[in-house]
Amino acid sequence: MFLLPKGTPLYENIAAAKIKLPEMLDKLKSGGFTGYLNFLFPSSNGILFYEGGKLISALHEREKSRLSGFEAIAELCNQILSGGGSLSVYRLSKDLVMGLHALLHGEVLYKGQELKLIDIKGLLEKMKVCQLNGCLRIYTEDRSALIFYKEGAPLGFFHDGSNDIETSASESQKIAGLPGAKIDVLSTKSADELMLYDLLEMVNIGKIWESNKIRHAAQMEQLTREAQERDSKQQDEILRELEDDLKEVAVAYMGKVGRTLVDKELNEQGGRNALLDADKVAKFLAGVEKSSKLLTSLSKLKEMSDLMKNEILARVNG
Amino acid sequence: MVFSADVTTISIIQVLFWFLAGIISFYFSIGNARIWTSISLGFFLIFISQAYLLAPWSDYPRLAAIHYIIGTVAIMVMTHGFQEYYVFSRTLETGGNKAPVYLGTLAVILASAVFVFINPEPTYNVLRNIRMIENANWVFLSLINIDMIRKIYLQIRDSVIARGFIAFGAVFVCILLWKGSELYLQVFCWDNDWHLFMQSISAYNNVDYPGRVNFSLLVHQAGGLLSGLSVGGTFIYLFRLLR
Repeated sequence: MFLLPKGTPLYENIAAAKIKLPEMLDKLKSGGFTGYLNFLFPSSNGILFYEGGKLISALHEREKSRLSGFEAIAELCNQILSGGGSLSVYRLSKDLVMGLHALLHGEVLYKGQELKLIDIKGLLEKMKVCQLNGCLRIYTEDRSALIFYKEGAPLGFFHDGSNDIETSASESQKIAGLPGAKIDVLSTKSADELMLYDLLEMVNIGKIWESNKIRHAAQMEQLTREAQERDSKQQDEILRELEDDLKEVAVAYMGKVGRTLVDKELNEQGGRNALLDADKVAKFLAGVEKSSKLLTSLSKLKEMSDLMKNEILARVNG
Repeated sequence: MVFSADVTTISIIQVLFWFLAGIISFYFSIGNARIWTSISLGFFLIFISQAYLLAPWSDYPRLAAIHYIIGTVAIMVMTHGFQEYYVFSRTLETGGNKAPVYLGTLAVILASAVFVFINPEPTYNVLRNIRMIENANWVFLSLINIDMIRKIYLQIRDSVIARGFIAFGAVFVCILLWKGSELYLQVFCWDNDWHLFMQSISAYNNVDYPGRVNFSLLVHQAGGLLSGLSVGGTFIYLFRLLR
């Protein structure tokens, strides 16, 4: 999960399944939105960065696998259609979007460098000279802080537990002072350069959405069919057991001919599935009673009929 | 012809038993499924066929002929009933209604009556022939019914009513003895009707085997009594089984 500054929340924690991604992206485009969309799914999350209405990057992360661009959008569509996720939309400044872009997509200049081995003053000086756009991440095993830079000058600080960019460097300094603190330096293109990219122009999101929708519908249909088959199998098993029990009851009251009678009456009602239909059950019992009158006493017949009725009610409704 | 002169105490008791059996079986047919209709109606008709012994106009030959014919119809209707029950025991089909059975039987009896009335009045010999036909039918159809009852029993042997069919088997054994012994006497011209016929033409009629004749007469009388008793008892037993 990405922990990012929230900026100005436009929407928070709305059900992802309710949105139509192509329509939403179009709206953000036409509104010249700058900021990011943060999707949280049960086992993954995704980020879409917008700058001036242009979709400059897309990222999807699941455990150790990361997808970007077209693949990330396709996976987002898939996850949205699967349901269960939430979406938050935050408005940010252009520069901060650039900084976050650097954090997630930027070129790694330094990675995992131990702070105590680095000339931090020299590094900051170098960043200033190079007019670096990007992000500096300082971290230990359990804490981290981000410093966003634009053209070599710090834009603000962000650390675990905060919701937004701060102007105070104290937390970052604290982490930097911890034993074993490390640093990553990530750079990215300038905000203006980033605006040259627009995934909305490069990728037909509508088509991706529709194809995912069709695939998802097919999967759902397949799942439904499988579930129905499973249910039907289970139901058939219950009905088979019920039929056997009814035969046993009939045998107990009428002898072996009782088994044949249950078979015959069930077949006349269209097989054991008739036991699910109240009308057919009534006809089945009436048929059994009619023939049983020729084979057993009225008192036993009533007892048998009640037993069968209760057995059917208990199994079918239970 | 003086038939009423032949009426013995045993005959009266026999008719009384058949009357009770007839009432019980007819009542049984009303309150039960269609399959029982033919069986119980058949047993009821036995009473009708036997009632000529007590009828004041029984010396009227045409009426006597109709009684014998009703006796033949009785075993045929009964056999039809057992066939239906056998089919039921194999297929468990219980369709149909009672009206065709009653109407069909009535139609056969009426047609037989018409046949008797449009033909010359039956003589002793003709009446004896009709009675032989009746007895022959009873003997062969009783054997068929015993076999059918055996098959029905095997099919439903572990049901409540199975023992009722054992009782029916016993009934038909009694009937077989009753009617078979009379047929035996008729076939060898040792029966009373033959004796009367020979008397009517002043011919000599000597019975060479009095022992066999007497034994057959005893079997006939005992079989007749036991048949009536067992039929009444069987239907009462069925009532209790199916209650």
